[in-house]
This record gives sequence, structure tokens and C-alpha cells, in this order.
Amino acid sequence: MIGLQILVDGFAISALYALGAMGFTLIFGVSGVLNLSHGALMVTAAVAAWAASAQYGFGSYAGAAIGVVCGLLGALVTYFAVVAPIERSKAIPRAEKEIFILTGTLLWGIMIQQLVAYFYTDNPKTVLPLIEGVVELAGVRTPRNEWFTALVCWVVIALLWAFVNKARAGKVLLAASMNPRGVTLLGHDMGRIYIAVWAIYGLLAGIAGVLLGMFLGVSSYSVGPLTASAFSIVVLGGLGSVTGSLIAAYVVGYLETATAYLVSPAYRVIPALLLLVAVMYLRPQGFLGRR
Amino acid sequence: MSLIPARFILIALPILVAAALLPLGVSGYILGLLTIAYYFAVFSMAWDLLFGFAGEVNFGPTFLIGLGAYGAGILNNRYGLDIPLCLLAGTALAVIGGLALAVPALKLSGPYFGLVTLVAVLLLQNLIVVFSDLTGGEIGLTVPDVISIDADTNYWIALGFMTVSGLILTAISRSPAGLILQAAGQDPVVAGALGFNVAKHKIAAFAVSAAFSGLAGGLIVFYMGTASVGTLIDTSVGVQIIIAAVLGGRRTIVGGALGAVFLIAAGELLRPLGSLSTFVVSAAALAVILFVPTGLLGLASFRRAS
Amino acid sequence: MTVAVKPPAAATVRAEPCLTVRGLTKRYGGLVAAKNVDLDLRPGEILGLIGPNGSGKSTVMKLVMGLEKPSAGSIRLDGTEIAGWPAHKVARAGIGLVFQHARPLMRQTVLENIVLALLPDSLLRLTPDSSVTDRARAIAERVGLGAVIDRRPGTLAFADLRRLELAKAIARDPKVVLVDEPFAGLTGPEVATFSALIRGFRDEGKAVLLVDHNVKSVAALVDRVFALYLGERIAEGSAESVMADPTVRRVYLGGSIETAARPEAAFKTESLLTVEGVDVLYGKAQALRGVSIHVHEGEFVSVVGLNGAGKTTLFNAVSNIVPHAGTIRFGGQDLARMTPAAIARAGIVQVPETRELFGDLSVLENLDLGGHHLSKAQAAKERDKLYELFPILKAREGQSARTLSGGEQQMLTIARALMMRPRLLILDEPTLGLAPVILEQLSKALERLRQTTPITVLLGEQNVTFALPHADRVYVLEQAKIVWEGPPDRFATEMGAAYL
Repeated sequence: MIGLQILVDGFAISALYALGAMGFTLIFGVSGVLNLSHGALMVTAAVAAWAASAQYGFGSYAGAAIGVVCGLLGALVTYFAVVAPIERSKAIPRAEKEIFILTGTLLWGIMIQQLVAYFYTDNPKTVLPLIEGVVELAGVRTPRNEWFTALVCWVVIALLWAFVNKARAGKVLLAASMNPRGVTLLGHDMGRIYIAVWAIYGLLAGIAGVLLGMFLGVSSYSVGPLTASAFSIVVLGGLGSVTGSLIAAYVVGYLETATAYLVSPAYRVIPALLLLVAVMYLRPQGFLGRR
Repeated sequence: MSLIPARFILIALPILVAAALLPLGVSGYILGLLTIAYYFAVFSMAWDLLFGFAGEVNFGPTFLIGLGAYGAGILNNRYGLDIPLCLLAGTALAVIGGLALAVPALKLSGPYFGLVTLVAVLLLQNLIVVFSDLTGGEIGLTVPDVISIDADTNYWIALGFMTVSGLILTAISRSPAGLILQAAGQDPVVAGALGFNVAKHKIAAFAVSAAFSGLAGGLIVFYMGTASVGTLIDTSVGVQIIIAAVLGGRRTIVGGALGAVFLIAAGELLRPLGSLSTFVVSAAALAVILFVPTGLLGLASFRRAS
Repeated sequence: MTVAVKPPAAATVRAEPCLTVRGLTKRYGGLVAAKNVDLDLRPGEILGLIGPNGSGKSTVMKLVMGLEKPSAGSIRLDGTEIAGWPAHKVARAGIGLVFQHARPLMRQTVLENIVLALLPDSLLRLTPDSSVTDRARAIAERVGLGAVIDRRPGTLAFADLRRLELAKAIARDPKVVLVDEPFAGLTGPEVATFSALIRGFRDEGKAVLLVDHNVKSVAALVDRVFALYLGERIAEGSAESVMADPTVRRVYLGGSIETAARPEAAFKTESLLTVEGVDVLYGKAQALRGVSIHVHEGEFVSVVGLNGAGKTTLFNAVSNIVPHAGTIRFGGQDLARMTPAAIARAGIVQVPETRELFGDLSVLENLDLGGHHLSKAQAAKERDKLYELFPILKAREGQSARTLSGGEQQMLTIARALMMRPRLLILDEPTLGLAPVILEQLSKALERLRQTTPITVLLGEQNVTFALPHADRVYVLEQAKIVWEGPPDRFATEMGAAYL
């Protein structure tokens, strides 16, 4: 029954990856920024949820909500304190802005990681799941929490899709990712659009972080690997393509889960990494990449 | 345009002499710290040749360092070859690995090149863990031979290596070859129209950067007696190298050395803060990037040029 | 000290061409940028390659230099086939290119920048060669940079930066020199000095190809002109004969013109838009010099000028996309502190030359984005009005914008801008690259727009046939300055011949 186990676990983990990756690629698509503090934001949300419910006595629902809010705030602070100043800076030539933003967000991520380790130690923490219990399906036992995780992820993904394709504000975001100049011509301030995109990203990263904390637990050491897997997925799917990230997340999620079960957990990351290398050389724009 | 300008010698010489005299009055612990700092200085200077001049961001300098370090280390650990031979082999491995990475990667534009370099590091990291019976895995590799057990000797070797590397890298950056490299990095289209095969020059720069990084990596292994993922390959190490180069001033070569020494010294001074020390250094580096992007040396030369 | 006097060079043009181009074609996906171009360039001759934006002149130049690979055709340099060679090989074979927007190495001196151009393509050269430095000095003297040879490019005036680019291109004594827009950004006296320099190249026996937007600016310098439009040759010959050529005149000026101007007194005395003394600098080049125009509410004003004259810069200054000196007021409000998006919301909507459509979105979605601030019902009403104006858009409602033809895309862009119910509509070169049949449709739509709505329009055009019939007033913008203002019927008599 290992096949079914892989199917279920892979599905949940992929959904989680997808949520994080879609936010990551949205930021890139609209503003061209690769946020290397992504993992730190997810861990912040998870640790905030854990601290709120385990240490400060809020209930698990309130704790989860606090975690998500922390993710949102973290993303906005990242934008205002790190990304926006570099973009505006007159001292940095245009061609080098990208590199500076990459280095700046990387440093910011390290700072957050160290703060978390300082205040809450670097031991792994698991956030209390909202739903307890186990489900038995064809001889395979999976925690209800896992199904819950997958469900919440997909609900959020559906909401995101509906927003971008149906809501007026969402369509403006989509248009901005295609042509920022066009959107300015129509009277939309790109500044406000950036803030909106970072806020959405913060919510996505926050939810993904809290769910991850409930499902697998996090520690300050998770920061690096989380960022690495998010951008591997985003590059595979195609920088800027939200649908591409979704597909790539499932490819990577299943590759990792299958490898962990069939070969060894220690080798989990290798097939996905090799796939990434192959794609980089054969089709650098990824599955569905545009830019 | 001279290869090594006079004012450079005027300023650097007294500093180097003072540095050479340090072992006479300073503890072995500090000497050890500075020894590591000097090897890091070479990492950063080699990185700046690639970034500041060829205009290519290498997000995984530790890929090259790791190849040099583990190449030399494994040969010594497994086959007991002499140190100089191991160093040569390690450097060669780093150059070959660097070229294997660079030749296809330079065809990619935009953020993809940087991403490929980062992926190379992740791959190396995972391969080392997977083949742990050869490499020592996460625990690390120990080598039976070391260059010397005397702190002073190690210090002088590191200082000497850093000085020679710095001189060579600076000379390259100021030579006609360096001029072509700068043009190629700044505007490859115009450089092509002036008759320069841009790809050839960038690959050569990569090879030089790889050679110095690999050699320094090997030397560090034979200084510390060990090599491990955490000390030499982890992305955090790569980030420190990049920060050191940017902090000291990109496109100056020497800035990388200044930045590296500064970072290691700062990290040490802040050690009592515990894990917050990394936080403070990162915060300081971020502040430099935001407010003084030309770095420490950049400030000085800017005043001179304007 | 003796002054060497060069005997006047014989201006004989040898019969055999050194650069032969046959059937040169370049396709970018579905777009054909250059179509079967045949061209000969002889040593000791200056050829002007002329055409508006999108004509293919820059493409031909890039193909010759090896910056792009041709889709078909042959390029021979002294008999050797060089088509498809990489740029560095072409450069070493003897072709030099003076870029319009090249950046010199800012941290090296002028001398060092020229030395760079003289270096062999070698990896191993670690020490500079003294003969190279001497030659660099000689070249600097020749182009007039002797006085600034040890300064850094950041401290140089714009004209000197252009001289530096000239020096780099001729450093290795190429047989062919390509110059991209030789006089862009230069003042009158500077143009004269540069012309003398370029004539000097010709007199040495070099073959010179000048690439420019219009014949007028290079007429005094060239021996021959080759005119391109939409990738194909439309005329070839002496400067006078090309300027008089009927096809060329139709492309630039259009055919006969019927005007329908309303006198200025018919409008409110207070102007809706006032532009006063606006200067715009791109780096060191002056793109606009003391430009002043005004537009009354309900008026249709055309700003006429050839490519590169400064129309787009003027519009970008109005929308505050480029920094500028001078004052711009709209409805009494100073626009200086407003963001471009705020200016669009305030009622000035631009339809840029590049259109900026959302390629992957449908026609309907593009229109709705323009009507973003309207309620669903209002938006539907506006759309219906626009479908009457541009019926073809209704037929293509569900198609993605990327799949529309050039003319349809232009109509969509205008319609999308109209969805915003602008007080002032700015149209920047709407006819560029469009076939005459489409121009008719666009012209009719503009006519109806003008008759049925009180809209205020500021149109920037090179095509006079398109620009004049609807205009109440005309400005002529030439080399960054307004040189004429008046009603359209006086344009033909006062400016007409001198325009091209």
C-alpha cells in the first residue's frame, strides 16, 4: 500500500509547496523580485502560531490566525524596509538592482532566522493541529490534519485563481504582471499595486507557513531549504507563471515523496534537483515561463 | 595605466608589514582567526573578478571552493598523496568544474545564470551527503596531513598567499585583458562590435576565479585539517563571501580582502552575543547595501574621482 | 614646428563596391523587418540609409555588423561572405559601428577607452603596448579629443562623448564605417564639425553608411540615399531625387490634404493644457529645447515632426514620465508633482507609439481594464459606443490582443484609452507601420470622434496626410524645438516643401 501512501502524502506536501511557490512567483511576475527571505517568512508565521498557542495561551484557532497575520506583516516589512529602498536607490545602477535585491533579501532572511533562533531557540516546533485524529483509507492511515492541510491549500488556491481571473482588482494585478507600463497608462499607481501584491504574498506565505508548522513542524534551520525548494519549483514552473508553479509543485512534491518512500529520506531532494539542472540547460524558461 | 599603481603600494605596504609582524605580539587564537580571514579574502577577491569585472553574479562561489577543498582532501585522505599534488589536483578539479558550469550557463541571461550557480551548490552539497563514505558526509572529512602545526607559520603562509593572489588578481583587473573583461561585462554587444569574443573572455575569467577559489579551498583544508559542508559549502558561507566583496567595495578586488577581514573580525568581536552575532553582522551588511552600496573602498575612491 | 597640410583628397568613387548586400531578409516570428534588400556600398562614398521607425534601417545595420543573424540573403565584404558571422569577427574583418547609445567605461580615461578599441582579442595580454597608446593619442587628436584625453567620460560634454564613439569605431582603420543617427542630440555647429569628420573618413577611401530617420538631416553630407519603408526599398538615388520621389513623399507626407479647421477663437480663451518652456535632457543629449504649446478644450491639435524630433518626449513630459524643466498645467493645475498614473486619472490619457496592450488578454478584457473605474452598466454602454466607432473590435471581442493585426491593435489601444473617458487624448504616431487602407479607417474613426464628442485631442504624427485633415491647429517640431505654428491650410504653403 505504499503506492497509496505516496499518493496521499505527495498530494498534501505538493499542495503546501504550491501555495508557497505561487506567492513567490506572483511577486516575481509583477515586480521582478526573487524574494530570498521567503523561507524566513514562512517560518516566522509558523513560529508565531506556535508561540501564540503554546506559549502565550491563545487557542489553536487564534494562534493560527496570529501566525497568518505575522506572515502578512513580515511580507510588508520586507517590501518597505528592504525591497522598495533598493528599487528607489539612485546610487545603484539599474543593471545591478536585481543582484542587490537578491543579496538584500537573503541577508534579511538570515536576520529573521537568527532572531527566531535567539528568541525561541532552534529546536523544531510543531504547531498544534486544528484537527486531530486519523483517517483510515484502504489500509492506509493518514492524520486528519494532512487532509485538512491539502483542503485548505486548495481552497486558497481556488480563491486566488478566482480573484486573479474574475475580480476587477485581480485582473489589474494580472495585467500588471504582463505590462506594468500599460497599467500605469490606465491610471493605476504601480506603487499601490506592489503593496497589494506583497500583502497577498504575505497571506499566502503565512497560511503555508502555519499549515507546514502543523503538518511537519519547523525550526529556524528550515529557512534555507524552504527558500531553496520554493525557488526550484518556481524556476521549474517558469518564472512568473502562477499555473506553472502549481504544476511544478506537484512534480517536485511527488518526486520527493516517492524518493523518500522508495529509496531513502536522505536522498529526497536529489531527483528534483537533477530535474532542475536539466531544465535549466534545456529549457531555462521552465514549463510555462514567459519572461 | 600601470598594473599596480604607486599609491596602492604606498598604502598597502605598511599594512602588510604590520600584518606580517603581528605574530610577534598577538595570541595564537587571533592568528588563527586572521589565517581563516586571509583565505576568505582570496575567496572574495576571486568573486569580485567575476562580478565586478565580468559582470556575472556567481551565487555559488562555494561550488568552486568545495570542489577544490574536497578534491584535495579526498586525495590526501584516501590515497595519502602529498599535499602539493593534492592542491594541484583540487585546483584542477575546481577549474574543470567551473568550466563545466560556466560554458552552458553563460548562454543564459538575466537571473537564470545566478540561479544555476546556486543550484550547483545545492547539488554539490547533496552529493557530498549522499556519497558520505568517500566524503565524510555531514560530519566532514579529516585529512592526515597538515601544512604546519605552528600558528605563526600557518599565518604567514596565509598572509603570503593572500598578498600574492591579491597582486595577481589586481594586475589582471588592471591589465588590457581586464579592460576587455570590464567592457564585456558592462555592454557585451558593444564589446562584440569592437572585435572581442565576449564568451571567451568571460569563460577565462571564470577559470581564473575557479583556480584561485579552488586553491584557497584546498589550502584551508590543509590548515584546519578538516573539511565539511557547514564550513565550506553551505549557502551561508557563499553569502558571507558575497557580502564581504560588496561590503569592501565591488570592482576593486582589494575591497574583497578588506570586507573579509572586517566580517571575520566583527563576527569575533560580537561572539559574546551568541547567535545574535550573525544577526548584527547581517544587519550591518544590509545597512551598507541600502545606504552605501559602493562599499567601504568605494567611498574612498569616489571621493578621489569626483 | 611645421604644420602638415593634407592635400585635398580626390573625391573619386571606385567602381567596384566593397560591401555588397543581396536579398537580405530578417524575420522575427511573423514580422518581416527587412525584405529582400539589395545594397551596394563603394569605398570613398557616403550612403544614407533612411527610413522612419519600423522601416528596417536599424535591422539592416545590425545584420551587416553581425549583431543579428539574417534569415536569408548574402552580405559580402570585399568578396568574402560575412552574413551570419558573429559581431567580433565582422569587426576584425574591417567594419566599424558608431552606436547611438553606447556607454564608455566610466572609470577609465578617454585615452584608455580608445586603447581598448585597439587591443587584440587576446586573453594573455597582461602588459600594455606603448605603440598602442601612441596610436590612441593620434586617433584622439584626429577626432578632436586631444584636450580631454586624460579625463573620465563622466566629465565630458555630450558632443565629446559622441567623438569618443567615433574614435573607437575607426580605431582599427576599418574599410566600412556604420554610423547610427550621426547627429542626434547635437547642436548646429556641432553638426558641422561632425560632418567634416565624416567627410574626412570618406576622403580617406572608407565607405560610410549613415543610418537616420530622415533625409533632411543628412542631405548635405551624403552622396547617395537609400530609402526604406516597412523593410523594403522604396527609393534610391541622390538626396534631391529621393526627397522629390513620389513614393517617399507619400510615405512621409501622404497625398493631397483637405483641411477642416475651426478657428482658434471658436474655443474657450483659457487653455486646457499649457506647456511652457519645457526642456528635457536624456543624459547629456537635449531632447526638447524650450518647447511651448497650448491646447484648448475641444480642440484638435497636431504636432507634426519626423521621427526623432521629440514628439514622444513631449508627450512623456506631459504625462510626467520623464523629468523636465519648465511648467505644464492642465485645467489650471500644475502637473509637476503628480505621478503618471495620477495624471492619467486626472484626464490626460496617452496612446503611446508602442501601444502597450495586454497581449494575453482578450479585446474585451483590455477594454474593461480601461473602464475599470466605471460600473458594469456604464462600462457596457461605453463599449457599445466604441464598437460603433470601431466595428472590427466587436467581431474580435474574444480574441487575445496578441493575435490582432497591427491596425486592429491600434484601434484597440485607442478604444481602451477612450474607455477612460479622457478630457485630453494624446495619440503618439498611431499610423506607424500601418497600411494605407487601415489609415483610411482610422482617419474616418477620428473624424467621427471629433464630430460626435467634445473630445480634446493632441496628435503627434510624422504622416502629414493623416495629421492635417482633422487638426484645428498645427505645430511643427524639429530637432527638439517648435519651429512653426499655425492653421493647417497655411502649413502646405509655408512649411510643405521644407518639411522633408
